[in-house]
Amino acid sequence: MTSNHQNTETPLIDPACYAAATAAIRTEAVRLLVAGEVAAVVGYRAGRRTGSVMPDVATTVEAAGQLLFSPACQNNLALFLSKAKREVLPHGRVAIVVKGCDLRALAGLIGESQLRRDEVHVIGVACPGVFGANADLSKPLSAEGLARKCRACKVHLPEGVDLVAGTLPPLPDLPDLEAEEIARLEAMTPQERWAFWTEQFSRCIRCLACRQICPFCFCTQCLCDRNRPQAVDTSPRPAGNTAWHMVRAMHLAGRCSGCAECERVCPMDIPLNLLNRKMAQELYELYGFEASMQPQEQTPLTSYRDNDDQSFIK
Amino acid sequence: MHAEKQHHAFEPKLVAFVCTWCTYAGADLAGTSRMHYPSNVRVVKFPCTGRIDPVFILRAFQKGADGVLVSGCHPGDCHYMAGNFHARRRFAAFRQLLDFVGVDLDRLQFSWVSAAEGGKWVEVVTELTERIRQMGPMREFRELDAEEHWSAQLDEPEIRAAYNAIP
Repeated sequence: MTSNHQNTETPLIDPACYAAATAAIRTEAVRLLVAGEVAAVVGYRAGRRTGSVMPDVATTVEAAGQLLFSPACQNNLALFLSKAKREVLPHGRVAIVVKGCDLRALAGLIGESQLRRDEVHVIGVACPGVFGANADLSKPLSAEGLARKCRACKVHLPEGVDLVAGTLPPLPDLPDLEAEEIARLEAMTPQERWAFWTEQFSRCIRCLACRQICPFCFCTQCLCDRNRPQAVDTSPRPAGNTAWHMVRAMHLAGRCSGCAECERVCPMDIPLNLLNRKMAQELYELYGFEASMQPQEQTPLTSYRDNDDQSFIK
Repeated sequence: MHAEKQHHAFEPKLVAFVCTWCTYAGADLAGTSRMHYPSNVRVVKFPCTGRIDPVFILRAFQKGADGVLVSGCHPGDCHYMAGNFHARRRFAAFRQLLDFVGVDLDRLQFSWVSAAEGGKWVEVVTELTERIRQMGPMREFRELDAEEHWSAQLDEPEIRAAYNAIP
């Protein structure tokens, strides 16, 4: 049953489902470590501030008993499984706690040979939603606090995992704000869109948090760093900022899992997920491609068909 | 820019990213056949359109190009078998990104020109040159490049007041 009116007493999503997922994760994590099936369980544990969580690599039974799942579990833990980031984990098989969006990233990494499916024990969480950027984690989850990406989520229930932790409660029916924003931008003239994006990119300070948090940005030498020849200006000026975000959107096209972590970690509140979601829409329209919870044989920009659209080519 | 420079009629600057084996040879054929066409185009030779990274197109616009042409072998004729197939997909996606960010797609032209199509090269370049001449200079990227815009506004009242307070 869905509810459009929410008073301050009724939580947006039944908190019991998060508690159930926590219990399931703890049981499984302890079991795996005791049995020696994995060297570590990558999950979330309570952070220092009220309501916050932080990623944890649990290697002991005690630590495994502290793992949890709550609306504050925003991080995409698949980040730690690419070859470049793998050194933070102990050697050997690991278990990982993933939401549906994180699972798409994990599947993408497996598809790109960053790890093998048999190297990881996947604990998928039946996730009803998490907090968005700048949300107050100490308050209960509300429609305002819910991440925009969660409104459009189609992967609440993970598939192809070794264990599903928790069950889904009734989900709220909220308008897809990101899709609305993209439609609003598409309806503008090119000049208006340019003005919008240059204003957004002018705030960019090139902290590259978006790149650091992205599971797919694992190149040991980024094209947009200092290189010879220099492809993109590295200083936080409008020209380089625009190029940086466009290059990153292109490099993620067909790979991005839609976890929207880039947008969440951006200190200047640039709506980065709009770019990635737009590219995902275009690739779906052009080539029928969608990010999936299962590793895929082909991604759209590393494969081709003889009859691909070439209406724009003379 | 400076007011004095407006005296001259606008001559578009076009950059053409072409593949060695087809379009470059086609352009060469146009030359040896003594076909005339506007000299606004600067040709950059690549082994294959598959090597052309979208960042090169961005860089061309940023460094002053008013229009960009990307041209290669017809599908099925690629010297490296499949380079142009990958390029076709890559540029289909990149066009959409450019459009979404607000770049006028009329400034970016893609074509397949084979080694025998000297005439088509002339036609494509002439058409693009005239179209860009009508559209005028590419202001958007050049304005970005010229802008010394830091994250902190340097013209805030507090900074002004502090500046004026310096004895």
